[in-house]
Amino acid sequence: MKQDYSYVGHSVDRNDSYTKTTGRAQYTADLKFPGMLYGKLIRSTIAHGRIKSIDTSEAEKLNGVKAIITAKDVPSMKWGLSPARFDENIFCIEKVRYNGDKIGAVCAVDEETVYKALKLIKVEYEELPAVLTWQDAAKEGAPQIFEEYPGNLNTEIHHHFGDVDAALKDAYYVRTDKFQGQRTYHAFIENHCSTAYWDGDRAFLYSSCQSVHYIQYHLCRVLGMKMGNLTVRQTNVGAGFGGKLDPSGLDFAAVILSKITGQPVKMFYDHAETFLNGRGRHPMTMELTTGVDKNGKILAHKFDCVLEGGAYTGLGIASSYYAGSLLGVLYLIDNYKFDCRRYVTNLPPCGAQRGHGQPQPRFAFEHHIDLVGEAIGVDPIDMRLINARKGNSITTAGYEVKSYNLLGANKMARDASGWKEKRGKMGVGRGIGVGNGGFVTGAGFCQYRTDYPHSVGMVKVFDDGTKAYVYSNAVDIGQGSDTVLMQMAAEAMGYPYERCQMVTGDTDLSTLDFGAYASRQTLMAGWAVKRAGAEVKKKVLAKACEMLKASGRIKEGFGYLDGPLTPEDLDCVEGIVFVKQEPAVKLTFEEVARKYFVDHGVLLGRGWYHPGKLGGNHKGAAVGTSPAYSSATQVAEVKVDMETGQIECVDTWDVHDSGTIINPKLFHGQVHGAFYMGVGETIWEEVLFDKKTGKLLNGNFAEYRLPTALDMPPVESLTLDDSYEPNGPYGLKEVGEGATTPTMGAVANAIYDAMGVSMTDLPITYEKVWRALRDKKASGK
Amino acid sequence: MYLPDFEYYAPDSIAEACQLLSQLGEKAKVLAGGTDLMIKMKNEVLAPEVVVSVKNLDQLKKIEYVAGKGVSVGALCTHNDLVKCDVLKEKYSSVSNAARQMANNQVRNRGTIGGNISNAVPSADLPPIFIALNATVKLVGTKGERTVAMEDLFTGPGKTVLAQDELIAEVIIPDQKMTGSNYIKFGLRKSGALAVVGVAVAVQVENNVIKDARVALGAVAATPVRAKKAEDFLKGKTVSDEVLAEAGVIASGECKPISDIRASAEYRTDLVRIFTKRALRKAIDEGHV
Ligand SMILES: Cc1cc2nc3c(=O)[nH]c(=O)nc-3n(C[C@H](O)[C@H](O)[C@H](O)COP(=O)(O)OP(=O)(O)OC[C@H]3O[C@@H](n4cnc5c(N)ncnc54)[C@H](O)[C@@H]3O)c2cc1C
Repeated sequence: MKQDYSYVGHSVDRNDSYTKTTGRAQYTADLKFPGMLYGKLIRSTIAHGRIKSIDTSEAEKLNGVKAIITAKDVPSMKWGLSPARFDENIFCIEKVRYNGDKIGAVCAVDEETVYKALKLIKVEYEELPAVLTWQDAAKEGAPQIFEEYPGNLNTEIHHHFGDVDAALKDAYYVRTDKFQGQRTYHAFIENHCSTAYWDGDRAFLYSSCQSVHYIQYHLCRVLGMKMGNLTVRQTNVGAGFGGKLDPSGLDFAAVILSKITGQPVKMFYDHAETFLNGRGRHPMTMELTTGVDKNGKILAHKFDCVLEGGAYTGLGIASSYYAGSLLGVLYLIDNYKFDCRRYVTNLPPCGAQRGHGQPQPRFAFEHHIDLVGEAIGVDPIDMRLINARKGNSITTAGYEVKSYNLLGANKMARDASGWKEKRGKMGVGRGIGVGNGGFVTGAGFCQYRTDYPHSVGMVKVFDDGTKAYVYSNAVDIGQGSDTVLMQMAAEAMGYPYERCQMVTGDTDLSTLDFGAYASRQTLMAGWAVKRAGAEVKKKVLAKACEMLKASGRIKEGFGYLDGPLTPEDLDCVEGIVFVKQEPAVKLTFEEVARKYFVDHGVLLGRGWYHPGKLGGNHKGAAVGTSPAYSSATQVAEVKVDMETGQIECVDTWDVHDSGTIINPKLFHGQVHGAFYMGVGETIWEEVLFDKKTGKLLNGNFAEYRLPTALDMPPVESLTLDDSYEPNGPYGLKEVGEGATTPTMGAVANAIYDAMGVSMTDLPITYEKVWRALRDKKASGK
Repeated sequence: MYLPDFEYYAPDSIAEACQLLSQLGEKAKVLAGGTDLMIKMKNEVLAPEVVVSVKNLDQLKKIEYVAGKGVSVGALCTHNDLVKCDVLKEKYSSVSNAARQMANNQVRNRGTIGGNISNAVPSADLPPIFIALNATVKLVGTKGERTVAMEDLFTGPGKTVLAQDELIAEVIIPDQKMTGSNYIKFGLRKSGALAVVGVAVAVQVENNVIKDARVALGAVAATPVRAKKAEDFLKGKTVSDEVLAEAGVIASGECKPISDIRASAEYRTDLVRIFTKRALRKAIDEGHV
């Protein structure tokens, strides 16, 4: 299926590498407008309570303060990212639900004045008892955080495919294990920032976000604006990892404050505030039961999962479904039961973070299945080979899976890592482990109900043909989507990549895309711009055909041609249009495009993409169904200091079944970054709160310990040559999130191999390892 | 996270600096690399009305060996100055190695040893190795100079014997009979992590017999502390794994750590045991490393 392409499959330079490496790239916080004001949110200092009064009078007297707004000054319509659970207000009405909740906003002539004003604002509360863990939230008589969620139960899911109990009864071996995940944080480097201004009845908002469309949609809905009257724009974005999909309080506040003051307003968070904005990974409490036959074939699996949600729903419903919906894609499990509850608590809301809802369940399952294999004497990789899905199949839940080579990924990772020589043979304190994962390549549905296409693309060729503008509001949050979209558009057009330019990050100027989440853009926006490019090419070939005929260079019916020259006899590659049977007869794309412009006006190509009806009919099928699924295997090697518990991850291998790789350099970058996040969450990272007050304890990068370059092992990122996805443009599938999902399992399994004690509680800190080793010694085993 | 308003002075001489500090009293704070002070000011832990920068006091930026006195390290030397210094690398690479394990490269380029010592947090990495090497600190104030043993400098978390008008001028590592020294920092990742435990040792070993030993512990008490019982135990013993292990056990009984978000007291105590043993082994086998 694979062809020789000019750009697809090549590591062309990123379009932004020069501006970013020279420090010239502009981010939202770099923007300045004449008369621009600076603003910040007023935040709750208690975890749960009723607002008795807000006294802003002292702050208003402060020289330079321009406006202070609270709930009474803004629309009271609730918003959220899950239509059935809109539960968040722009600013708290009556009640605050976490230490850091949004009470209002202040803007002033400069930053300094804003900080001073914040100190002068006095909020009086009637404190209510707070619930800081799901266990407390679920107790009889626990304080109610929302009226609409009795017992603080935000959602529950009960899926049952096949007959688990019957299958467990027949199983050769049944095992149950419990696991605990932790709350983590995206740790993107660019904090949220939003800057807005108005021109008449039109508002313009620059937002550091993952979807200009959703921000536009949610703001317009709550503010009662027509979408045509709110332009959402963006500059470069310093990453998101799921944390910039929800509108932040800053977006609303910037638009409202700039309306009130008549001046541009820039709202911004510092790192601690970004931690408080939350939306990171849910801590999950998980119980897994698996029954297998003698060979390790899974007969049934039961997964019980509780998510600790924090104060609002946000994307939490999708997180809950994702916790259970993708296991059946990885492994062939005929009998599967998934029970899930999500509770609200008085902490910052949890939401989506790279791999959305899936990494912790992956950790749990991948470790659990090793323990099952160990009990029946089956090697971990063999356990996976026995149970792995194959391509062109349908899952128990009804999802259609086209390309899928988890088997190949396991074998390649096994061989590359020297698994057979190493596993169980490395001696005390050294170990090797494997984990599988994968992800959707885009969600099957929009976040809200609509019949819009998921992505629309356009290519406009400049008048004289010397530039091609590629339009898409797909968001380049650093992953390089602009680059790969231009590669695909250039390929489809037969035009030089270097002369393409993105028109993006602007809901007025560019074309609809739902944004950077669910690893969707390369496939969905890819289809849209590929189709747009193809339409340009079609027009160019038709025009070239006309030109060649008129030029007299073509002698019709003469020798190499059977009939009159048609556009189908032509092709265009890298800016040259030529006769396929006689490539020496050619024109430049430029001259053809120019002629087109003279004869017809602007040379445009348009494309769009909708995934259509996808598989799965059960309630919640929308979260998990996708046009294409990636799969991946990672192997990690670790050293454990058997006295101190210190863990060092020394080497890793990743094989990602990602279809056609559009840009190998960017692909390997994604794998590397994904592993980095995964290993960080396995060993180091956890957001901590005071157990009484719910106050954030480590909202900084000294105490929220991300791994450093020195902690990061080398990652050998491998690919499967024959991976090709028919549902993806050029045969591609995702890599962005899927590569995070095997990591925790692989590293945890390596730790187990090294120390011989199963670690089921994330993060697997040095101290936990030390404690486990000490307890093992004390118990004399 | 916004710096409060303050006035700023950058005097040209030590005398002038001390004079200013004496006049301004509590209102003033000394600024060296700022890697501790600026964070405290941004976090509103401190709000000095005046900041007195010592950056122009070039005479405090030297590291040199003075015969009969020892190695003198100026208070304004940065951590990376220590890392790169030939005199230290030759005589006490244990000190450069301690500096190399601090913070991250950016902070090592700015942070100074004077700041690290004056700041007096229990987890600071330099005091333990200086204490193990029996270093002294020269203080300069309006009333003149005085020299204090490093181990007597600290009176509590964030507290030292420095008077309001005093500056740390230099740290002096005296000529040693000790044949080896070593500092092990244990942080929760390889870079940019404060010590959960720091163990520094210095030993004098002759013919495989420990003649003298000093063990200094960081991050396990309100100030850096010496494990004197462990030291006494070691003196006169023939080197063996059992002896070093026993010294570790004794040292772990001498610390009084707290539990915080980084580590529990229990864990820290056991780490003292492990690292005392390991640091002793290194110092005995490899010298000043
Ligand atoms: C990210 C990060 C990581 C860090 N990691 C470590 C680490 O691993 N180990 C570690 O030990 N420390 C660490 N630190 C703390 C800090 O970098 C060091 O303590 C540093 O040595 C402080 O020196 P400074 O010159 O920056 O001090 P400053 O911040 O300028 O001053 C600190 C204090 O000392 C006073 N002071 C400074 N110089 C003098 C002087 N000559 N005489 C009298 N008083 C003086 C100041 O008034 C102030 O109270 C870290 C800091 C950061 C920001």
